[in-house]
Amino acid sequence: MPKVIFRLFSTFVVFVGVFILIQQYLKPDSFGKYGHYRANAINDAKLIPLQYKGEKECITCHQDIYDLKYSDLHDAVSCESCHIPKILATDACKTNPPKVEGSNEFCGQCHAINAGRLKKGPPQLDFKDHYEKQNCIDCHNSHAPWELKK
Amino acid sequence: MEEHFQHLYQALSHVDGYIYPNEIDLHWGLMIVLYPYITGLVAGAFILASLERVFNVKVLKPTYGLALLTALAFLLVATLPLVSHLQHPLRSYEIFMTPNPTSAMAIFGFVYLWYLMVVLLLEIWFDYRLDFVIWSKKSTGFKKYFYKIITLGINDTDEKSAKLDDKLGYFITVLGIPSAFLLHGYVGFIFGSIKANPWWSSVLMPVIFLFSAMVSGIALVMVIYMVVSWVRKVKIEMPVLDTIARYLLYILIIDFTLESLDQVHRIYEAEESFDIIKVLVGGKLNITLIYMQVLLGTIIPLFTIGFFQVYKPSEKIRKTCYFLVGIMVLIGIFFMRWNVVIGGQLFSKSLSGFTSFNAVYSGLEGYFMAAVWLILPLLILAFLLWLMPPWKKVSFQG
Amino acid sequence: MGTEKIKENRRKFFKSSVALLGGTLLYSLLKPFELIAQNKEGAVKEDKANDTLWGMGVDIETCIGCGKCAEACKVENNVPKEPFYFRTWVEQYTVKNNGKVKIESPNGGIGGLKQSVPDKDIFKSFMVPKLCNHCTNAPCVQACPVGATFISPDGVVLVDATYCIGCSYCIQACPYGARFMNPVTKVADKCTFCYHRITKGLKPACVEVCPTNARIFGNLRDRKSNLVKFLQKKQTEVLKPHLNTHPKVFYNGLSSEVK
Ligand code: HEC
Ligand code: HEC
Ligand code: HEC
Repeated sequence: MPKVIFRLFSTFVVFVGVFILIQQYLKPDSFGKYGHYRANAINDAKLIPLQYKGEKECITCHQDIYDLKYSDLHDAVSCESCHIPKILATDACKTNPPKVEGSNEFCGQCHAINAGRLKKGPPQLDFKDHYEKQNCIDCHNSHAPWELKK
Repeated sequence: MEEHFQHLYQALSHVDGYIYPNEIDLHWGLMIVLYPYITGLVAGAFILASLERVFNVKVLKPTYGLALLTALAFLLVATLPLVSHLQHPLRSYEIFMTPNPTSAMAIFGFVYLWYLMVVLLLEIWFDYRLDFVIWSKKSTGFKKYFYKIITLGINDTDEKSAKLDDKLGYFITVLGIPSAFLLHGYVGFIFGSIKANPWWSSVLMPVIFLFSAMVSGIALVMVIYMVVSWVRKVKIEMPVLDTIARYLLYILIIDFTLESLDQVHRIYEAEESFDIIKVLVGGKLNITLIYMQVLLGTIIPLFTIGFFQVYKPSEKIRKTCYFLVGIMVLIGIFFMRWNVVIGGQLFSKSLSGFTSFNAVYSGLEGYFMAAVWLILPLLILAFLLWLMPPWKKVSFQG
Repeated sequence: MGTEKIKENRRKFFKSSVALLGGTLLYSLLKPFELIAQNKEGAVKEDKANDTLWGMGVDIETCIGCGKCAEACKVENNVPKEPFYFRTWVEQYTVKNNGKVKIESPNGGIGGLKQSVPDKDIFKSFMVPKLCNHCTNAPCVQACPVGATFISPDGVVLVDATYCIGCSYCIQACPYGARFMNPVTKVADKCTFCYHRITKGLKPACVEVCPTNARIFGNLRDRKSNLVKFLQKKQTEVLKPHLNTHPKVFYNGLSSEVK
């Protein structure tokens, strides 16, 4: 074999060899266990802290409201649907309560009239015909909507 | 980040129709336009050089080395825009460590390596080895050391070794043509294989990319040849220019035919996506597609060079025209990449609305950076020409 | 005789070297298949051991477009609040009397969707919640150059945030616009079915807060799950079936206008 070819070919082989060596070295640990990915990434995905902890967490303090809610038509609506937990709310509920303002806008998220939601789910109201100038929670109790205040 | 949000709010106010909320952010910007553009220049320049070598086109001899070095200079830069566009550039080595065999982009890394290391560098090395040996004896300083090292210790200068170099170089060239086709066809495949995007997803995409690459590469070598001759104050050989221009004409015709075929096919089949693409071409892409790509980049050059085949005006006029045509083709192909990359993201995958491209000047994805990536290869080329000038080569064949 | 011998030797040498070469070639050709075969077997075993395959049903007939799901998703998964990043969002489709379709999703539906077309022009209107479809043939997984996005053994398409290089290729490959580039972590981000919740036996946040049960989450392999019952009872469809991605999110009441 001519010297040129030999030298180039061995350079090539050395190059490929070094490449494969580096590859073995730099490949992450659990790579390829289940497929072409890092199997440990599955565990990483499990480690995110919970924000929404479910109604059960709420009743440790608010059994009364829970019972009230279940006595009426908002029973299907979870506490956290209306009370969006701020970061880790249930840990720091007392210091940083997930307050909501009962405004027409707020109730309207689910109850405002919209052609796309007619005849399904909660009743839809045209607020112009339903005590336009007043706040919903002046009359309705937000947890038990049929418990009218006046 | 705030600035980025500001841009997005601006884009949000320009949304036309409905787009998925995540689509307001255009994920591929100017850098991804440059990447196929520069790779295309490489493949094109290389194919021009190979044509000369394999088909033994004697007239093109003066451009052979020039084309190879141009290809090398641009190839060295080709992946940089891609890397600078990554959100985690430091992780880019992963493409080589754990390449996903089903991903077009991962395999591109290897195609690139193959092309750079095995094809281009080897071909240049075989072409220059003898000269390196001779030059290493004549020169001093940095150059001397460089030549010494690069010969890999093979110092034969007899005719037999030169013949062997030539034979091996020829072999590599033959190997190189399909490799160059692969390199750029592959870039087309990166886009053509995205079935989610009807503007990209086309079997013709790799072929179109390939031929437009050849067009741009040939035009680039033509322009560089003229500029280099002008700088060196030597006479531009007209037969060289005429021949390159003729090749440019042929390839341009094929390229134009293919692209038209692609569009005719779309228009005739008029699939679900046709309505939105029609609006796209007539609206947001109007200037860059119809005027820049088709008119400036294709029609005018076609007619100019075509006309020269029938009637040859004086050398001076032809020289000027060739130069202008070269520049026009280069601009046209740039906008071809633009229309593919940016155009493909301007309309929503919901096929019912448009977003807009927001130009940025600064930052890693801005115009400034783009200019850097386009000028850098020219500087590298200048350096390479200084280091290993093709016109100072010795040759046994005379 | 001597030359004969040499010739024979040479022939022998050639024969053995050809055999060696052919063997190596054959081996290197077969090697990948062997790996595939092994993988398949492994996968089958895995399947038997693993009897969960997560999926979701979306009932367009009951969705009221209150946007609570989109909001909860952002809070639960720490998604930037700017209106360009959504793991899930709700679209409102309005077919007008003149046949034109208007699609809207201001801020992904967060805060409740409001009808902007006057009643008299409306032919019909409905809400469509969107999220990652967790495709069985996921184009994003196919496209990822480094294997940073993958389908977990229980069928959820996840992103490895420590490994993603941020090339955006998966975002381009997703036909549903379900992926985005997270501006904080600078990696591709998408719906995980709240993987940290479902693996603890909880429901995804969007399902948890839905006031009308428009989202049904469950195990596709469990014949008794709500999801399987939903799929049996309702005529469900998937989005963009022509792309052959085989989503694991199924829609009831999907109208042909939905894209
Ligand atoms: C339909 C939406 C809705 C749901 C569901 C809901 N809340 Fe409320 N909640 C409100 C609104 C609106 C206010 C503030 C206005 C008010 O005081 O009525 C409020 C106020 C409160 C307050 C503070 C005001 C007070 O009464 O002193 C507490 C505590 C509370 N909610 C707990 C709960 C708990 C516990 C649940 C679940 C069992 C729940 N909420 C479910 C809407 C809701
Ligand atoms: C997250 C969505 C949501 C919000 C916010 C919400 N509701 Fe409701 N509401 C419902 C649902 C669901 C029902 C139950 C409908 C049913 O079961 O028929 C309901 C039922 C009601 C009803 C009884 C209607 C009937 O069928 O007789 C009243 C009254 C009512 N809500 C008032 C309010 C008021 C006042 C507010 C604001 C404090 C409010 N809602 C906020 C979802 C919501
Ligand atoms: C002045 C007190 C008052 C205010 C303010 C008020 N409501 Fe009512 N609401 C009533 C009474 C009384 C009824 C039952 C009789 C009726 O349908 O008018 C009722 C009925 C309803 C119903 C049931 C309608 C049905 O068809 O079953 C809903 C839902 C409702 N209210 C929601 C709201 C919302 C949302 C707001 C805020 C925008 C609101 N209300 C504000 C007094 C009030």
